[in-house]
Amino acid sequence: MGFELRAHTADIAVSATGASLEATFAAVADGLAAASCEEIPVDTGERFSLAVTAESREALLFDYLDELIYLRDVRAELPVDHRVDSIDVDPATDGADEWHLEGSTRGVPLAEIDAREVKAVTYSEMRLERADDGWEAYVVFDV
Amino acid sequence: MTTFDADGITLERVREYVWEIPETGDMRTPARVLASEALLEEIADDKTLEQITNTTHLPGITKYAICMPDGHQGYGFPVGGVGALDAENGCISPGAVGYDINCGVRMMRTNLTYDELRGREEELVDSLFANIPSGLGGGGIVEAGVDTVDEILARGVDWALENGHAVEDDLLHCEDEGMREGADPDKVSQKAKDRGKNQIGSLGSGNHFLEVQRVTDIFDDEVGEAYGLSEDQIVVLIHCGSRGLGHQTCNDYLRKIEQQHQGLLNQLPDKELAAAPAGSQLAEDYYGAMNAAINFAWVNRQLIMHRTRQVFERVFDRSWEEMEMDLLYDVAHNIAKKETHEVGVGPEGRPVRDGDAGEREERELYVHRKGATRAFPAGHPEVPAAYRDVGQPVIIPGSMGAGSYVLRGGENSMDLTFGSTAHGAGRLMSRTQAKNEYWGGDVQQQLREQNQIYVKAQSGATVAEEAPGVYKDVDEVVRVSDELGIGDKVARTFPVCNIKG
Repeated sequence: MGFELRAHTADIAVSATGASLEATFAAVADGLAAASCEEIPVDTGERFSLAVTAESREALLFDYLDELIYLRDVRAELPVDHRVDSIDVDPATDGADEWHLEGSTRGVPLAEIDAREVKAVTYSEMRLERADDGWEAYVVFDV
Repeated sequence: MTTFDADGITLERVREYVWEIPETGDMRTPARVLASEALLEEIADDKTLEQITNTTHLPGITKYAICMPDGHQGYGFPVGGVGALDAENGCISPGAVGYDINCGVRMMRTNLTYDELRGREEELVDSLFANIPSGLGGGGIVEAGVDTVDEILARGVDWALENGHAVEDDLLHCEDEGMREGADPDKVSQKAKDRGKNQIGSLGSGNHFLEVQRVTDIFDDEVGEAYGLSEDQIVVLIHCGSRGLGHQTCNDYLRKIEQQHQGLLNQLPDKELAAAPAGSQLAEDYYGAMNAAINFAWVNRQLIMHRTRQVFERVFDRSWEEMEMDLLYDVAHNIAKKETHEVGVGPEGRPVRDGDAGEREERELYVHRKGATRAFPAGHPEVPAAYRDVGQPVIIPGSMGAGSYVLRGGENSMDLTFGSTAHGAGRLMSRTQAKNEYWGGDVQQQLREQNQIYVKAQSGATVAEEAPGVYKDVDEVVRVSDELGIGDKVARTFPVCNIKG
C-alpha cells in the first residue's frame, strides 16, 4: 500500500494502491509530491483543509490532483503528507452523481525546498480500479 | 514494399524518411512518421506510434496525422505530433496543443564574439541565474494584479512595449507581431489568472532554460546573412512557455469538454484527446483562451529576454543597443492555429484523405502542433516581412551538451507537414532512468571541463534529468528535416552558459 514513481519518456507516472479509495487518493497525491521534490522536510509547514467535488470517481481524482497543483502555485507551498478523510457520493437530482472529497495537506514553503514543477495532472492512461484488497490507481503527470 | 514492424503496428515506407501507418478500424486517415530508420527505432521504443495512430480518430482530421523526426511518447497526442483538423466540420483538442500553451523558443542575436565572452562565463552565468527568476516558486520579473494579467492576455508583447520591456523591433520579429488576434481574457479562468500573476517573466523548471551560445557553423550564407548570423557570434536562446496560467487553461477546458461533449469523447481511444466540435461554444471559448495564453507566453519570453539584455549590459559594461541584442525570432512548440491549407475534398465538400479526394481546395484548419514548429517557406504571407524572401526562421534546441540549430521553413513543408518541422532533439530516456544513470554534479563538471559549458541550476536532479545522454541525436533530427525539405539547415550553435530552473 502506497505509491511508486513509474518511468515515462517525457513525464512521470504514479502507481498507487490503498485499502480504501481515500487511502489510494492520498497515496497518488503523495506520489505527486515525491515527483516534485527529492527530500521533503518532515517538520515544516502548516496543515490546511481542502474539499473537491466532481461528477465521477475518476473526475474527482483528476480534480483533487489539479487542486493540489493549483494550491501549490497560489500559496507558494508544496502540498505533502496528504490525508483524505472522506469520499462520498450523492446521487444528484438530474441523474448525474456528485462525488465529494474532504481532506487535508501540509504546505511546505517552496522557498525552503528544491522542488521541480509538475505542470499538470493528465487523463492519459489514467486507471482507477478495484483490487483484491482495495484500490489501484495509475496517473501520468505532465512535467 | 519495405515495412517496419513495431509491437503490432506495421509501417509502410512511402519513400525515404516517410513511413505510413495505413488507415484501419476507426482511424479516419493514415498516420505518417517522418524519420530515418535509426530515429524510427527510437520512436517505436515507447507508445509514440500508438499515440499518433490514436490521433487519427479525431473528427475532421485531414490528410494524415504526422509524427516529426523528434517524436516521443507524451500524453494523448504524442510530443512531435501535427494534426490538421477542419475548422468547420472538425474539432479542436486542448490535449493536442498540450498543457504548456505556446511553450516555445526565442533566439536573440548579439554582435559579441566568443573571444569577447571567454573568461567571463562564470560571471555571466551567475548574473543570469541571479536575475532571471527560475524554478518552482521563484516569482516573476513583474508582480501583477489581475487587471494587468488581463491586459497581457489581450495585448501580448504590445503590453511589454508600453511598459518598457520591449522595443518596436521586437514585435516585428515575432510571429503575429507578438499579439494573437482573437485572444479573449474573459475565457481564461480566475484560477488560471491567479496562477499566472506571480509568474510573469519566469523560466519555470524541467526542460526550460536560458542558454548563451556561440555560432559554430553557417550552412547557408545567404539565409544566414538575412538572419544576421555569422560564425563565432554569441546568441541567446530562451525556452519556456505560459507557466501555470497555460497549464490551468488546458485542464479547465479538458474538464469542460468532458462534461459537455461526452458523446464525442466516447469515440476517442484516449480521454486526453478530448475535443470540442468546431462551431460549438466551447471550441470558440477554448480558442479565445488559448490565444490569450499564447500572448501570456510571448510576454513571458519577452520579459526574460529584455532582462537578459540588462544583465549583459552590466557584465560587459556596454549598452544592449551597442551590443545589437536584437530578437531574431520566436517560435511556438505547443499551439493550434487557424490556418488555410490546400486539402482534398469529397463530394459533400468536406476534407477527406488524399486517396479519396476528387477536388482540392483551400480550407481553414485548426493546425495542432504539439512539440512541433511552424516552418513556413519563403514567400508565405504569414512569414514576417523581415524574412519573407528567405523563409521563416525555425529554432531547434538541442540538449545542454549538444548544439542547437537555426533552420528556415523548407519548400516541401506545406505539402508534407502543413508547414511544420521538429521542435528539438526529443527525449530518449525517462527522468527516472536519467537519475539512475547520471548525477547532476558529475554532469555539470564534465560539461565544464570537457566542453567549456557553464551550467547553473536550481537542483542537481534537474541537471541529471536533462543530461545530454537523455536526448536523441539532434544532428540526425535536423538532417532528416533538411533532407525532406521541411526545414533547411542555416546555422549551428554550441552552448557556452546555461541556466535551468
